[in-house]
Amino acid sequence: MSLTARNALIALGITVLIVGTIAYAIQYLDRQRIAEISAIEDQIAIDTLSLETQFSLLASAPCESATSTELIAEFSDLGERLSYTESQLGSNNAQVIQLKKQYTLLEIRDYLATKQLAAACGLKPVTVLYFYSNAGDCTTCDRAGYTLSYLHDTYPALRVYSFDYHLDLGALKTLISIAKVKEEFPAFIVNGTTSYDFISLEDLESRFPKGALSTTTVSH
Amino acid sequence: MGPEIVAYPFLFLAIFFESFILVTFLSKPARRARGRVASSETPSVAIIVPCLNESATVAATCESLLALEYPAEKLSVILVDNGSTDTTPEVMARFKDHPQVTLLLEKNRGKHLAVNAGIATTTADIVGCLDADSFVEPGALREMVGCFENLQVGATTAAMSVHRPRNILQHMQNAEYIYGIVLRHSMSTVNGIHVTPGPFSLYRRETVVRLGGFRAAYQTEDLEMCLRLQKAGYLIEHAPHARVYTKAPHTLFALLKQRTRWTSGFLRNMFNYRGMIGNRRYGALGMIVLPIAFPAMLGGITMFFASLLLFGTSVVHAYQIRDGIPFSYAYLPHAPAFDWFYIPSSVYLLLVAVTIIGMLTLIALGKRISKTPGSLLQGMISYLLLYSLIAPLWLMRSTVDVAIGKKRAWR
Repeated sequence: MSLTARNALIALGITVLIVGTIAYAIQYLDRQRIAEISAIEDQIAIDTLSLETQFSLLASAPCESATSTELIAEFSDLGERLSYTESQLGSNNAQVIQLKKQYTLLEIRDYLATKQLAAACGLKPVTVLYFYSNAGDCTTCDRAGYTLSYLHDTYPALRVYSFDYHLDLGALKTLISIAKVKEEFPAFIVNGTTSYDFISLEDLESRFPKGALSTTTVSH
Repeated sequence: MGPEIVAYPFLFLAIFFESFILVTFLSKPARRARGRVASSETPSVAIIVPCLNESATVAATCESLLALEYPAEKLSVILVDNGSTDTTPEVMARFKDHPQVTLLLEKNRGKHLAVNAGIATTTADIVGCLDADSFVEPGALREMVGCFENLQVGATTAAMSVHRPRNILQHMQNAEYIYGIVLRHSMSTVNGIHVTPGPFSLYRRETVVRLGGFRAAYQTEDLEMCLRLQKAGYLIEHAPHARVYTKAPHTLFALLKQRTRWTSGFLRNMFNYRGMIGNRRYGALGMIVLPIAFPAMLGGITMFFASLLLFGTSVVHAYQIRDGIPFSYAYLPHAPAFDWFYIPSSVYLLLVAVTIIGMLTLIALGKRISKTPGSLLQGMISYLLLYSLIAPLWLMRSTVDVAIGKKRAWR
């Protein structure tokens, strides 16, 4: 075998090895990301279940839990990780869809628990249900999502629940049906009031109850 | 999958080519070539310096040749004025009484004829060509003549770098030239060199004469001569310790003009020598170097547009989603804690990173084997920042020129 042919074969082997290693490393990282999201979801599931159990055991509301921002922060962190993973793996990835379903269920349970606690403890939390679409029929959803992230980071007690409108999940369909959310995006339900479209930060802020944003900040 | 998918085949080829250079660099014949000491043989040598309006540099070029560590009686310098309209003939006249220097005044009929005129006046065993804006180091010739001890060798190239790089463009070219040193060194081991550059290449005179001398060859006579030598079965050697410095264009326009000439010359010559492409008879040149050149050009253009599209859409999207959000939140860094989860990772990014690391490694090796003085840090940085943005411009320009049959002036 000539030196050229031998070197070309070795170079080809090295190239295949490099490309293979990179492909494996990326897959490994993606698996680790999925595992981390799954672990956070498990933790949130335990926290939510614990809250609900406390409620049942005491036969009254554990009001000190209702003002805790820890769970909100966990949700926010989980949402960001899930969103990043979705951007990496694509919104059609089976594992991403599965994680989104679990996340959506946890959000709905937390939303319901928050409502119950608020009623029992006389609190007035500001909640936003945000419905977006990844089906290419929403041109302002990315802007709306970023703006909500800004609002949440600025007012940590603000509870933002994001839902992929087209996610095939029974509980979500029921929520959409009860809240009468039309297939127009983005859609917001701020403290029970539904509105559509997104124009600007100021426009979105105007949909919040007067003074709500300035009083939602909770000291840790 | 985004537009980056079109880049994958080109990145695969780029990594393959870099690996091939590296594997060949580490092979025994390359190690032996690097260890070769300067020859004690002193065949007669005539260096031809074709000059066209080179009044600013030709004197220094000639002086660097006269300072070569070589027996004076075996070394001659032939300065050929190629119809200059500046003061080049007057500058050349300063050397008229020098016993080693011959002056020739020619009409401007092309560089190839100026070189041929020089060859016609000498009977030296070895003839060399040195552009009139290039300067050799004293030990360069001795490093190179040893290559001709093998009678199959028809030409030898030197280790070329940029003379006193000053601006970012020249630093970029310096890094590229130094990459060329390791490329030519490795390729010479498998006889895969496709060009004997104007800044100092030596030829066996008898061979050049037998092959009919230099031709016009679309203003790339050095490339054509190299291909003709290869086609005739001669070996092209490289002397990595023979340092030569050349002036590099310092403006973008001059650089584009020079590279368009080189690239369109390559494409046009390749049409004439198309029988060598993919031909096993020509070894690494026929099976690797020439066939890869075309996808490499296409890849340069494709990746330029794919990256532009990716970057452009990302920037526009990032700007759009931040519209109306306070500047301090949207654009200023938030000092986030390190989180492995968000490390940007994609097959595309990592392949690009490997290609860049491979290229920087080869540049560093080029500097190491040639012992080229000076820091390469600026060169590497400017190469990384600029090359992939600028090179597609001359690739596209020369491709269009060839497609529509447009010919451009040398300067």
